[in-house]
This record gives sequence, C-alpha cells and structure tokens, in this order.
Amino acid sequence: MAVAQANLEKETEDCSLLPLVHDIIKCMDKDSPDVNQELTKLKTKIQEAREQISNMSGIDCSPVEQQQQLATLREQVRTKNQLLQKYKGLCMFDVPKAS
Amino acid sequence: MAAATAEKSTKERLLSVLDDLEVLSRELIEMLALSRNQKVPQPGEDTQILELLVQRDKEFQELMEVAQQQGKIHQEMQLLEKEVEKRDNDIQQLQKQLKEAEHILATAVYQAKEKLASIEKAKKGSVSSEEIIKYAHRISASNAVCAPLNWVPGDPRRPYPTDLEMRSGILGHMANLPSNGVNGHLPGDALAAGRLPDILTPHYPWQSSDVSAGMLPPHHGNDFNLEPPGHNKENEDDVEAMSTDSSSSSSDSD
Repeated sequence: MAVAQANLEKETEDCSLLPLVHDIIKCMDKDSPDVNQELTKLKTKIQEAREQISNMSGIDCSPVEQQQQLATLREQVRTKNQLLQKYKGLCMFDVPKAS
Repeated sequence: MAAATAEKSTKERLLSVLDDLEVLSRELIEMLALSRNQKVPQPGEDTQILELLVQRDKEFQELMEVAQQQGKIHQEMQLLEKEVEKRDNDIQQLQKQLKEAEHILATAVYQAKEKLASIEKAKKGSVSSEEIIKYAHRISASNAVCAPLNWVPGDPRRPYPTDLEMRSGILGHMANLPSNGVNGHLPGDALAAGRLPDILTPHYPWQSSDVSAGMLPPHHGNDFNLEPPGHNKENEDDVEAMSTDSSSSSSDSD
C-alpha cells in the first residue's frame, strides 16, 4: 500500500511542468545555449501530456457521473441475480415418474 | 439550465488546464526574456503570472490523480458490464424456456378442453348398449356380413336382396310386375310365383323344418328396413328365426 502511494506521488510529480519552467529560467539567467533545448523539452512534455490524456480511459465523464454509473451497474447486477435466483428457486411441479 | 451547469468531464478539464499551463509558461518566458533584453524590471506582473502558473500546475496534478482513480473505477465498471451481459443471456435463456413451457401447456389445455367437449357431446347422444346390440343383430341377421354356416355353393341365399325377395316385397307388389316365374336363375323363383307344386320343389341342404310353410326361402325383406330399434316385434321374430344358427348371444327382444 505504501509502495503504491509512493508510485502515485512519483507519477503526479512527473506530470508537473514547473521543474522544466524552472530549468528554462535558470538557463536564461545564465545565458546558457541550452535554452532552446529546454524549451523543446517543455513543448515535448506538454504534447506527451496531451496524448496521455487522450488515451486515458474512464475520464469521459466527471467523477460524480462515473459514481452514478457504477452504482447503476451494481444495482443492475444485484437485481438480475435476484431475478434469476427467484425463478430458479420456484417450486417445480411434482411429475409422477412413468413406471 | 441544468445542462449548462453540467459538470465537465475530467478529460476536458485536464486539457483546459494543460492549455493554460502552456500559455502561462510561454507568457512568463517571453516576459522574462523581454525584461532581460530591455533591462526594465516589470512591476510584479511576472510574479502574478508565476503564481497563476504554480496554481494551474497544482490543479493539473490533482486532476491527474482524479483521472487515475477514474481509470481504476472504469476497469471495475467493465467487469460489472460483463457480468450484466452474462446475466442478460441467462435471463433470455430462461425466458425462452418459459415461453416453450407456456406453449406446451396451452396446447395441452386446449386439447383437454376439446376432449371434454367431445365427452359431453357423446353423453348427450348416448345410445343404450342393448339397442346397439339389437341393431347389430338385425344387420347381421340378413347374412350380409357373414355367410350362414350351412351355406354351400348353389344356395340361393345372397347377402343382398334377390329378385325373388324384391318381388315379394312392398316395391314388387306396388309395381305389380308380371311374374313369369323364371326371371332369375333359380328354380326357387318359380316357387315364389306359386306355380310349381310341392313335389317339384327343390330340396336344399340348408332347408330345415324350422323354415316357414310353403318351403319358401325365409322372407326377410323387412329386415333391411332400418327402423328405430326395439319397436317392431314382427321383425324381431324374423330375426329370431334366422339367427338360430348364429353364434351371437342375442338378448331378448322384450
């Protein structure tokens, strides 16, 4: 559980753009020729973030809507299980065995 | 109004925040580059942009966390959808079986009702078994269903009315046909006309002392009259006379 939490924090920190902006400002202060390189990195990072967002599943609705859909699905499963149990548990006719 | 205030999806919010981040970072970098070139300090505008940038970045990170949680929930929803589909198939199968059972039961009930109606109808038109036996006896007494036990080739008796019997019946008398005697092929025909003396009457093995006087073949023209059973004693006597050799045990006429 702690490992999963640490992984989650790392992933969220990875998607931050502030470190890259900081690097660009630092290069500008130093008049370093790597400014263009850092700018390109920022652009690439933004583009990758856009692609990642487009490929993520389950975010086509808000969290509230998703919770509603989840509740609806759970209710459907429960109702259908109940229905099947009801019909399977109905008393059957006593059919006399043919002698 | 509710539609207008509907929550935006997480995807839309993420893309919106990312666009803001891109614009703000570009603005900040351009402002810093401009201020360095012109060597004019900006009156805190860059600080404002920086604060906005930090805020948007934080918002972006929070939204990414939400998106990951939604991804996990989405996987759970996919499993639930598969289960729902499986249950739907089971319910459809059950529905099909119930429909089939209903059809079978409906057919059985319909046939049972038809049979009950037939039974009621038969009860209304019931006939006494004694009458049926008498009727059957009359039909069989004319030897139409089975030859008499003592029938031999040459016996003039037939399972259908012969010429002699027709002429001696009501129709024959009504027509008042001229009787020349030998119209048929049997010498017995002459007897019916009453032309031959007794001494010339042919004797056949089947003739017994029980045959009526005049040595005529038994007259059972009336036996073919299919009248209501149990009301003609004369016919019953004929039946009794003819059925002496019958093996059937007929009941008493009265």
